[in-house]
Amino acid sequence: MKKFILRRLLLGIFVLLGVTLITFFLTRVVPSDPAAKWVGPRATPEQIAQATIELGLDKPLYIQFQKYLGDLLQGNLGYSLRTRRPIMQDLKENLPATIELVFISTIAAVFIGIPLGVISAKRKNQMVDHISRLFSVGVVSLPTFWVGLILQLIFFRILGIFPLGGQLSTQIKISMDIPNITGFLMFDSLITGNFKIFFNALWHIVLPGITIGLFPVGLVARMTRSALLEILSEDYITAARSYGLNERVVLWSYALKNSIGSTSTVVALSIGYTLVNTFLTEAIFSWPGIGSYIATAVIGLDYPAIMGVTIFSAFSYVLLNLVADIIIAMDPRVRA
Amino acid sequence: MRWFFDFIKTLQPGIRELRMSFYLLNRNRLQRFSLIIIIALVLVAIFAPVIAPYPSHAISATNPDDKLLAPSAKYLFGTDELGRDLFSRVIYGTRISLQTALIAVGLAMLVGVPLGAIAGGLGGVADEIIMRITDVFLSFPPLLLAIAIAAFLGPNLENAMLSIVISWWPWYTRIIRGQAVSIRERQFVRAARSIGTPVHRIIFNHILPNAFAPVIVQASMDIGGVILTIASLSFLGLGAQPPTPEWGLLISTSRTYFLNAWWYSTFPGLAIFITVLVFNLIGDGIREVLDPRTRKF
Amino acid sequence: MRKYFEIKNLSVGFNTFEGIRPVLNIEELAIDRGETFGLVGESGAGKTVLALTILGLLPKPAGMIHSGEIWFDGEDLTKKSEREMANHYRGSRISMIFQDPMSTLNPVFTVGHQITRVIEKQQGLKGEACEKRVLEMLDVVRLSDAQNMIKKYPHELSGGQRQRVIIAIALSCGAEFLIADEPTRNLDVTIQAGILKLIGDLQKEFNISVLFIANNMGLVNVVCRNVGVLYKGKMVEKGTSVEVIHNAKHPYTQTLISAIPRDKSEKLKFASVAIKPEAEHGCPYYARCVLAEDQCTQHVPMLEAVHGDHEVACFLADRSNL
Repeated sequence: MKKFILRRLLLGIFVLLGVTLITFFLTRVVPSDPAAKWVGPRATPEQIAQATIELGLDKPLYIQFQKYLGDLLQGNLGYSLRTRRPIMQDLKENLPATIELVFISTIAAVFIGIPLGVISAKRKNQMVDHISRLFSVGVVSLPTFWVGLILQLIFFRILGIFPLGGQLSTQIKISMDIPNITGFLMFDSLITGNFKIFFNALWHIVLPGITIGLFPVGLVARMTRSALLEILSEDYITAARSYGLNERVVLWSYALKNSIGSTSTVVALSIGYTLVNTFLTEAIFSWPGIGSYIATAVIGLDYPAIMGVTIFSAFSYVLLNLVADIIIAMDPRVRA
Repeated sequence: MRWFFDFIKTLQPGIRELRMSFYLLNRNRLQRFSLIIIIALVLVAIFAPVIAPYPSHAISATNPDDKLLAPSAKYLFGTDELGRDLFSRVIYGTRISLQTALIAVGLAMLVGVPLGAIAGGLGGVADEIIMRITDVFLSFPPLLLAIAIAAFLGPNLENAMLSIVISWWPWYTRIIRGQAVSIRERQFVRAARSIGTPVHRIIFNHILPNAFAPVIVQASMDIGGVILTIASLSFLGLGAQPPTPEWGLLISTSRTYFLNAWWYSTFPGLAIFITVLVFNLIGDGIREVLDPRTRKF
Repeated sequence: MRKYFEIKNLSVGFNTFEGIRPVLNIEELAIDRGETFGLVGESGAGKTVLALTILGLLPKPAGMIHSGEIWFDGEDLTKKSEREMANHYRGSRISMIFQDPMSTLNPVFTVGHQITRVIEKQQGLKGEACEKRVLEMLDVVRLSDAQNMIKKYPHELSGGQRQRVIIAIALSCGAEFLIADEPTRNLDVTIQAGILKLIGDLQKEFNISVLFIANNMGLVNVVCRNVGVLYKGKMVEKGTSVEVIHNAKHPYTQTLISAIPRDKSEKLKFASVAIKPEAEHGCPYYARCVLAEDQCTQHVPMLEAVHGDHEVACFLADRSNL
């Protein structure tokens, strides 16, 4: 087991190196004017020249890469052209809001998607199954950004029961003191007993939450269903039934545990999709997270920021997959 | 040149199975329905200029007096902020989406499949190198790499397509390589190797025909995924640029107006949804038919 | 007056892509309380299908009972709902030892966990009492080092060990009717003998009935009072094991008996593969039968008494004295 983790870690490091190489390639080698991209469209020639020296663009590639890698390891992602602050700092500020959304979508994927898949597999070809499958395939065919817009149209414009966007109403933002302990709004307001803020935040997270949560639920439900179908046709399930074991036990313990591998894989994948879907969702709901950060960066051609978010997301995803692979390794067969 | 014909020959058993699969597909109502819709979409895309009542962009399309009109008999989907007929724009959008999706998926297969066949067929060092490269590419969250590449290459539809090809090819490599490895260990391949059959022949004659089915399944599901990706890229401003009537771009532009002009967001989005849905359904159907384990017998 | 366990005119088939494939066609099979009945047949004859059918565990929707009755203690099992089978029969009254322990043990749970679950459910024990019973059961099947065994996963055990675990699990159910599907298949001869003795002992002590499925006659002879021979889903000969072995009338049975290693000087006069095309409306054994005549292609022979309880399904039964 330890050997496996070690090997997997090494692979992870190798992959991170590869990711760094690719991003390096994208920022320094591909553009015709990497220095200009670094300092922005309104830079003076002197600034560009200075950037060229700073970035080491006049030096051979491998030295450039060394510098690039060194910067990264120190947490230096450069400066945003728009905010004029270190990108790392911008990311730290914007991260909690995004994590809230990712958290919701993961909870939905695991606690709605998996059971949906299990029930669908158990009641194969019955009405429940058909509805669930139609729902799943429909939901993964929806463009996330469109869902957000339609939800706004229906629930804000027409029905007027949910807000258009933002994490909190402007009223509250102006009139009240927003607690900032961990940076997670809902958590902070809860532990400081500030229920008015908490419920307001809750009210605001509904629409973005649904928007971001639909895809993972559908994806996970689909995968879980097909994994379970295969498992349920295995001999050990028949054997378990023959011993008179409770069908609920057979399904949710005996069968489900065999799907840990594929389930973790698909949950990790759905988080990956979610990470990028936040870019789209936050833009629509003016949600102050990394997504709107990069969306604004794209429009403003803030290349350093774009790359910063890309590197950050890629690294997070690699780590996530590492964790997922380790969970998979808990399947006793893999350890052998 | 001969290897090209060899390649075509290797696909033949796969193609025969495909034909049988299509026949089987037709038996399920939902699949049949999807197939019909897909054919309809393809026809719409091909005959767009004939079907669309108005031109989709350029000055001739704009009608300054008819800005942001609700759907009516004259303008089936309403008009946009420049007075252009949304229905025509959505129809032309079909062409763009299908075209780019097919090309992107095709190119990704063209790059990914041979790499995977080589990796799986040769094994050893080539396998290791190719698979590590694949791992690196696959470790990016889906779409992220496409965003980064598109941003740096310059935002336009062609670059978006290119960035998709670069993000997508590893999936095919992985599939083919996995298949190749398991096929390589089978008796008949061992037999071929033992009599000294050259490697490239083994790859073409033995590995590829047997490995193709999962690739077809993946490709059919990918077309839907790529359409979504292109729409998302365009929505962010990284793909199609105005005045191209790409669906994602239409929705992006609509954001300013849609709260008072519901049709502007709704119809392009519906178009995306339906198109991706039917491709996903067909993909499901193809997978059910081609996967020997889930076949109905 | 029904016997304790009785199968009547059971017809089972599988729905395949190409149509319905008949798998079982058993006119009659009866077992008394406390009796061991041996069912012999080659692979693919339908023995495991029969076992699954009794428990109501045929794979749906592929497997289907077309007609027939399975009487168990006065109730027809074929008419029972899934829930009734699960709650009242499976494990509690009828349990099964499966043939392939690798595929019938859950790979992600320890062996100990799997036995514990069954004991908890069927014997209602918990905690320490349960743990003790688990170790007892492992001892009963002669698994040494039980303490360590229970922490292991199925793939960590040898074939023989897995087999004994499966037997232990089935016995843990404490059922009154045991279906043993080739329980000693991969075990070496000494352990085989041990298991057979164990089943015999249990039977005497608790008056358990056993349906003992095997693919060779020699095994069956040791434990079973009555025996039936299954060929392609059809019962072709039935009777006491003594009678059938010494006085086999059906050509197929005779091939099985000649397969018992005895005297090497006996020459094989039988065909083990088809030597002529199948007879669609005739005897299922026609294709391999060296004695077959024209009438064998026209009708399906039914079981007919030849000598007391000894029944054979063959038109040429009285002539086959090879």
